Amino acid sequence: MGAIINRVRELRQRGEGMTQQQLAETVGVSRQTIIAIESGRYSPSLEVALKIARAFEQPVEAVFSLAEAE
Amino acid sequence: MSSMSFQEKSAWGTLTALLGVGGLYTSSLVNLWRADQLHIPSTFGLMVGFTILLVLVLVGYHILVAAITGAQDEDERDRLIGWRAGSIGGFVLAFGVITIVGHIVVGGLLQGGIWQSPAVIANLLLLAVFIATVVELAVTIWFHRRGI
Repeated sequence: MGAIINRVRELRQRGEGMTQQQLAETVGVSRQTIIAIESGRYSPSLEVALKIARAFEQPVEAVFSLAEAE
Repeated sequence: MSSMSFQEKSAWGTLTALLGVGGLYTSSLVNLWRADQLHIPSTFGLMVGFTILLVLVLVGYHILVAAITGAQDEDERDRLIGWRAGSIGGFVLAFGVITIVGHIVVGGLLQGGIWQSPAVIANLLLLAVFIATVVELAVTIWFHRRGI
């Protein structure tokens, strides 16, 4: 909560879009965890963050950033 | 689809069952005390009976939830919440046990009557476990709802 912000929902809904369930299955977490990440209630581990970035074909810093940097 | 993970549903169900069965147990205990029957044999019978009741309720609940929504493996967020809630529950349990030890020692020094009876001490220890478990479950639900 708080220090890390993300663009997961924005990137997921781009183009043809991807459901939360699809992203969850791709990354290996539950749909509820994806919901928590998108709403800022949970900051994922480095491994999960990298998997999410790879799913979007983006560098990890394009998906996650420190709140102070915005 | 539900916004609650299987682990959160498990916590809600376990907390509800614990409070319900705990309330019935306490009520039975009070009745025993009023009838001046609060001793180890009756307390032991009560503990065994309510433990079996609690296990049956929890097994039934979890089977129902798994059948309706499907069981899920824990992911990293579930594990993190479990560890932190467990740690907090552990502190509460330690505090409770140390308090009861102090109660036993002070009671022994002052020769404190019924409050030193084995049945009362056994139930105080059970109360400490109960409170610690309730706190752990409540914190688990809090972390799932509000974030961690």
